[in-house]
Amino acid sequence: MQLYPLKLVTIVGETLIMEEIAEEGIKLGATGFTLVDVIGKGSRSARNVSFAGEAKTRKLEFVVPADVAVAILTFVSHNYFEHYACIAWLSDVAVVRGEQYVVKR
Amino acid sequence: MLPLPATLIAAGLMPLLADGGQFARIVESLERNLLTPIPLCFLLGIICTRIHGGIKIPKELYYSIAIFLLMSIGFIGGHELADEYQAHGVSTIWKPALVTLLLGCVTPITSYVVLRYLGGMSIADSAGIAAHYGSTSAVTFAVANSFVEQTQHPADSFLPTLVTILECPGIAIALVIGAAFSARERAAKAAASGRPVKESKLGEALYEVMTGQSIMLMAGLLVIGFVSTLFMPEKGLEPFLEFFKSKGMLFRGVLCIFLLEMGLVAGEKLGDLVKVGPFLVAFGILMPLLHGFLGVYLGHLAGLNLGGCTVFGAIVSSASYIAAPPAVRLTLPEANPTLSITAALAITFPFNIAFGIPIYFEMAKWVGAQ
Repeated sequence: MQLYPLKLVTIVGETLIMEEIAEEGIKLGATGFTLVDVIGKGSRSARNVSFAGEAKTRKLEFVVPADVAVAILTFVSHNYFEHYACIAWLSDVAVVRGEQYVVKR
Repeated sequence: MLPLPATLIAAGLMPLLADGGQFARIVESLERNLLTPIPLCFLLGIICTRIHGGIKIPKELYYSIAIFLLMSIGFIGGHELADEYQAHGVSTIWKPALVTLLLGCVTPITSYVVLRYLGGMSIADSAGIAAHYGSTSAVTFAVANSFVEQTQHPADSFLPTLVTILECPGIAIALVIGAAFSARERAAKAAASGRPVKESKLGEALYEVMTGQSIMLMAGLLVIGFVSTLFMPEKGLEPFLEFFKSKGMLFRGVLCIFLLEMGLVAGEKLGDLVKVGPFLVAFGILMPLLHGFLGVYLGHLAGLNLGGCTVFGAIVSSASYIAAPPAVRLTLPEANPTLSITAALAITFPFNIAFGIPIYFEMAKWVGAQ
């Protein structure tokens, strides 16, 4: 079985901004994303507000090549870190069927 | 010059207290309100959270009840609006509707001016809090409505229509003020950091408010109630009225459960009172009194009855904590939501439920509403 070295970008933050980040991630070259409701506590999580019936915090994940990962992280840090409760990190992952995660340009 | 709290009290409450026997009547109204199941359930929720008690209302139940309450307010409102329309046309409704629009525009501006210039708060925080106070709280409406029904002075039938009218303009005006005044600050910041100015999300936020759950359910059911009353035979309508009616045991019962959950949430927020400071605590109590008085007085001039003026005062004075927070967060991210949500939910909402509604009732009597 062949494993492909790729990057996992994980962003945890306020529900209100997560769909926007997901859409931008696709524009920046991700082929897909995973978005889940989570519960957590952080230094700014008291700020989280959401529309009625929605979770206050969500976790967003992209499996992408390194250049796309950097572009997504740059976008998130420039646009959301100042005013929103949000954290982002990067991990190395080995992915089965890794060719699925690279946009053919 | 008088300090702010004294000035606001003078504007809102002193005219009432100037009359000797009035104070005793207010105390009597307070007693009559406080010792009833709805505020007591709210109090139980607060106490339970503070002593780490074990009451837990499942979130799904809370949202289901919110849906029922909004549908019920809308449907019964639409039904009674249709009756009113058949009896008097639009002659009794247009003045209160106009006053509602006017107050929807005035309350965010008065709130902004007080917060910004008397409280010295930032533009974003002032506009953010003003958006909450410019809008309204449907639950405060439901509780005020129950109160006037219990006192045998039911409100005019078209009050739910006024709630839906009041929900949007206040949020919109405060957000426009905030976006306009903070545009220069943002541009300067963007120039300093060398990044492009971020697009304003005002349009998106307002769309979310207009199409949010409260407006869609309340306004939607208002239309359904109105249309079905005009076109359906009375017999066929009866089961729906029985299910939704606000005097019914279902509505009052679930309102108790809802207020219990609100108490649990408000109890948690009480801890944030220390963070928001004495000015905002005073604002959260005195601004509703001033807006409530405006609502009662203008409502009376527009022809509302005693119950109508009371409920109208309550909805004008109340602050939104469901529709406004996400709209403000999207448009003015630099505003601190702890301030606005604590003021709306932990100060103004409990104040109105316990003290505000009976005070507006006495104000309404004082201005001569019948």
